[in-house]
Amino acid sequence: MEIAVLSGKGGTGKTTLATNLAFVQKKCILIDTDVEEPNSHIFLKPKELNRKVITTEYPNVDKSKCVLCGDCGDFCRYNAILPAKNKVLVFKEMCHDCGGCKLVCKHDAIHYEKQEIGSMYFGETAYGFNIKYGDLKVGAVSGVKIIETLKSSLVKEDLIFIDSPPGTSCSTVAAVKDADYAVIVSEPTPFGVSDMKMVVEMLRNMNILFGVVINKAGLGDNEIYEYCEEENIRILGEIPFEKRFARAYANGEILSNVFDEYRNYMQNILNKISN
Amino acid sequence: MKIAICSNSQGIKSELAERFGRADYFVIYDLENQDVKTIENKAKNEPSGAGGSAVRSLSKEDVEIILVPELGPKAMDAIKAFEIKAYAYTKGATVENAIEEFKLGKLKELTSNTKEGHHGLRRA
Amino acid sequence: MNTKEIVVISGKGGTGKTSLMASLVPFFEDAVIADCDVDAPDLKILFEGENIEEKEFIGLKRAFINQDECSRCGLCKDHCKFKAINDELEVEMESCEGCGVCEYICPNNAIQMNDSVVGKVNVSNTKYGKLIHGRLIPGEETSGKLVAQVRKKAKEIAKNENLKYILIDGSPGIGCNVISSMTGVDKAIIVIEPTLSGLHDLEKIYNLTQKFDIPVSVVLNKSDLSVNGNKGIKDYCNNYDLNIDLEVPFNPNMVKAIVNKEIPSIYDPLFFDEIKFGRFIENLKNL
Repeated sequence: MEIAVLSGKGGTGKTTLATNLAFVQKKCILIDTDVEEPNSHIFLKPKELNRKVITTEYPNVDKSKCVLCGDCGDFCRYNAILPAKNKVLVFKEMCHDCGGCKLVCKHDAIHYEKQEIGSMYFGETAYGFNIKYGDLKVGAVSGVKIIETLKSSLVKEDLIFIDSPPGTSCSTVAAVKDADYAVIVSEPTPFGVSDMKMVVEMLRNMNILFGVVINKAGLGDNEIYEYCEEENIRILGEIPFEKRFARAYANGEILSNVFDEYRNYMQNILNKISN
Repeated sequence: MKIAICSNSQGIKSELAERFGRADYFVIYDLENQDVKTIENKAKNEPSGAGGSAVRSLSKEDVEIILVPELGPKAMDAIKAFEIKAYAYTKGATVENAIEEFKLGKLKELTSNTKEGHHGLRRA
Repeated sequence: MNTKEIVVISGKGGTGKTSLMASLVPFFEDAVIADCDVDAPDLKILFEGENIEEKEFIGLKRAFINQDECSRCGLCKDHCKFKAINDELEVEMESCEGCGVCEYICPNNAIQMNDSVVGKVNVSNTKYGKLIHGRLIPGEETSGKLVAQVRKKAKEIAKNENLKYILIDGSPGIGCNVISSMTGVDKAIIVIEPTLSGLHDLEKIYNLTQKFDIPVSVVLNKSDLSVNGNKGIKDYCNNYDLNIDLEVPFNPNMVKAIVNKEIPSIYDPLFFDEIKFGRFIENLKNL
């Protein structure tokens, strides 16, 4: 079963929740798909990591075969390949790796080369379960390919927690696609509610069942509870804001490892999800 | 010889555009017979790579020189590959002014990019 | 008039970027406000105003398969590198990147690439100046272009109304949204918190700003949250010759302000005096 943990707003506690749920569950795997700012490994402290470099491809033009007909440039929607007067320019960082230019080239002048966009790491955490996470190279434009690679070859019989990127952009879509259930982490503030609405819209469009965990409860108002009631959204749990939790988090601790109450909060949420 | 100037509207009296790739129009001026033609810059709506795309379109119009406010590194690569020369305008409010400055030899040729590159979008 | 652009970014979300950015606004008299966090545009909650302009934003084209013309050969699905065509030979819009390969390869001309509205750009009149905000429809492709539209509009208004500053709320992360929020700015303010994850993310976002040669100012928010975390951040900043230009201790009033939909620096002015916010602003203005 695949459970995605996501939030509209950043900093609501997605990674905290995903890592703690995994910690309490034990028999599972955690996939951190926030490849722009991966954080789970900081808390889960994997011992030895296997690293795989992730690449995308970009076109390379064989000058001896190219007749500068211009077909590749006419086709490319991203202006990544530009046939000019004396050569064909390729802007590899703009290439979306769609394979189109090679298809349209009638002179077999295009082949693809690899460029590194980031890495994928896999290893066992300090707590007896495995973690997989990705890291996007600074300056690279999109982490979607890394996210897809992270999710490929997952065994569905296992319990999989997906720590998703914040927001509702294509990275988040790639992360939660095909999830069996989604846990929205939000906070009881106007920003929390506003951003949660966007996530709800996205999940409904994708037909994914979901519930919400209200984090930092007590540090805000009731708007979020009213919203959940209006929209018939299931509240899986509430975790109060406590300075001691915030401090332990700041120091990179797994809260369920330090505080029994926190462990209980996680267990209750897990119970609610399995119903 | 045809030169293209980035502009905000049509015709020789229009205001100079602030950017190249995302300019609204290009006014194409024929130095030999003083003919003026304005084309819409289709590249401005493209999600990315507007600079390169604009250069390609101008090359199809047989433009050999462009008068621009700036050029990023991709556009710079593009004009070199298309054998087009670029000159920077700073003074003057209209296309006409820029053409005058060019004719008087007051504009500096751009041979390396004037701004740092970035993906997708030009500075707004 | 040389308009100065200042962007507030954070790398990691939830550091207090938007709260800080909003707190700056009342101190800049001639400013345009641009909310470039198009995934989660929250500034309008704090800066309410009359909507004076709305424009649809069209992104990349998307593939549309005409089922009547389709011969079910499946060539489109075989060639789609984004796995955007499912077994039923329907296009999954969220995954389609608009490359056009399916349209090209279809032997029956059954596929068309259509414009899709992926978001919108709004301009509203607020108490502190015009607010330009863009919103991406949830699930759409991360859009540097939409961010650029927001910035373009802001620059246009700044020029027409002779305004000195454009204050930009950037997106979290390091992807093309953020890149588009910060290119060409005069200053990027990085808001961070003294946590282990915060330090990790500071490194990434700082690297990104240096790639684009952008002058940086660091703000440490919730600074008293963790002594270790605080030290970690300060050590990093020392190593890279970065100054922490503003330290903001944790203050529950910041959240209270947001809950009351008020700008924190207006809600709790004494606190902002204590942290020498005025001096921070002065330094920003002397760019």
